[in-house]
Amino acid sequence: MSERTRQTKALAWLAVLELYRRKDMVVVFVLSAVILLPLAVFTPFGLAGASRYMNETALLLVWLFSLVIGLGVSSRLFPPEFESRTIYPMLAKPVARGTLLVGKYLGALAASVSALTVFYLAYGLMAGLRQGVWFPVVFLQAFVLHIGFLAVITALGLAGSLLLTPSANLTMSGLSIVGMLFFGQRLPALAATQSLPGRTVLTLIHWLGPHVEFFDLRQRVVHEWPAIGWGVCLVVLVYAAGYAAACLAVAVAVFRNKRF
Amino acid sequence: MNRQRLQTWLAVSGVGLVVALGQAIPFCLEGRLPQVPGEDVVALVLGDARLEISRTLEDKAEEYFHGGVRHLNCTMESDADERGHEGHDADAHGDAEGHDDHDHHDAPAAKGVTGFDPWSWVDQHVHVQEHRHLKGDQTVEVLPWLWAASRMSPRNTQAYESGAYVLAYILKKPDEGVRLLEEGVRNNPASPELDFSLGEVLLNKLHDAAHAEPWFVSTRAKCLPVQRDAAKAEELMQLRLRAVFYLGYIAKQRGDADRVRVCLEEAESLEPQHEVVRDLRALLETSGTKQ
Repeated sequence: MSERTRQTKALAWLAVLELYRRKDMVVVFVLSAVILLPLAVFTPFGLAGASRYMNETALLLVWLFSLVIGLGVSSRLFPPEFESRTIYPMLAKPVARGTLLVGKYLGALAASVSALTVFYLAYGLMAGLRQGVWFPVVFLQAFVLHIGFLAVITALGLAGSLLLTPSANLTMSGLSIVGMLFFGQRLPALAATQSLPGRTVLTLIHWLGPHVEFFDLRQRVVHEWPAIGWGVCLVVLVYAAGYAAACLAVAVAVFRNKRF
Repeated sequence: MNRQRLQTWLAVSGVGLVVALGQAIPFCLEGRLPQVPGEDVVALVLGDARLEISRTLEDKAEEYFHGGVRHLNCTMESDADERGHEGHDADAHGDAEGHDDHDHHDAPAAKGVTGFDPWSWVDQHVHVQEHRHLKGDQTVEVLPWLWAASRMSPRNTQAYESGAYVLAYILKKPDEGVRLLEEGVRNNPASPELDFSLGEVLLNKLHDAAHAEPWFVSTRAKCLPVQRDAAKAEELMQLRLRAVFYLGYIAKQRGDADRVRVCLEEAESLEPQHEVVRDLRALLETSGTKQ
């Protein structure tokens, strides 16, 4: 194992430990239980049998919490190091700046994916027990694409943390991700209805913005639509890898030129 | 110590003053307060926004009916109308009942990007583009949203109608549908649509013409006031025609040909070319009493 790989693994492991040390997961699970338990026993008009509203709510919570965890972890990777000046001994190890950044990114991604795995396992068990369907293909695809979503948002949060203040980074990243989830699909149609300056802006957002809605298979999972082709799945994952790589390239460029 | 005691007394006095005002204001300003007595917390907090939220919840039910896909030109309401007409033919004339899926071809969304757009290609392959309806027992999935819509705003008559349609016609629970419509009528006494739906469920699903007839009578009565809005007036006239048909149909079942003739005359005076006029004539012909 090369020195760089060993350093990267050590940095990544630290980020994973940090997530579980702060007990975020416990809060998330308690909150989910408080929301989902009353829904589980709800029988509208006295008729039992409806389950999709419950699945949709559960998956919405999974998406919300994964967004909060992914953005929260990635945007907190560097600012505390700068504030407490622990970045100096870290860079004096010696660890190359690129290695430090990639290691921290992989750590944030691993931490977010580990939390996501727990969420999806809990959801899969809940859906299996309620409906008797255990981990269908579309569910596995939803999980795989959700990992792609985390790869994009952690890279975005990390790049933003080097360019903006922590609060501005969280606000901008959160708005752009939620905005794309809601409107990303409709951007071409929205652009077509606008006059020139607005149309150009919307078209630019369409081409350059993070199309996180590609990773959202909730509609297929909740409403039991067939799985997508694995080729399409691969294309979406390539998009995620490309977008994350572009964000990391920006972050590396900024970090290399940063004066502490 | 004295300072602490003073603070305690001030706090107790403040709480006492708030309680006294809370009791005195409704008593002194009775009838002049903005809130209606007896309204629940949701009503007080959200006010008229409740109706909009309720309609959003109803839209969600429509989305569920189409497997999570929003189709603007196909709604449960349009399906209910088709079903209503089929029910008209099927139940009133003794034919087989049923409502099959129909094909809607939505116009493709306007595209702002000319040429090949890889992002739109990915989007079309990831998100569902097909059109389907929930069928049979699966339709129970829309009920939580319709329940929430009717609870969020009791003024949303469409939520009651859609909920009753699903319960009575699709899930074969007409008693539950009747209960829901009765609640809707209590909350919306001026709405002829709910009276009509209630009459239809009683007649078509519970075959209780005696209890259905007063609801068609009340529908007709509620449709009579003149409307300034032309679209609303046309809507009410169509509803009145349908109520008149059912009144004629029930009269025919009783063997009351004179009453059928009165209904036919009323329908002819409203719209001579309407299918209801044709159907009422057919009723008179089959009873052998046409003049």
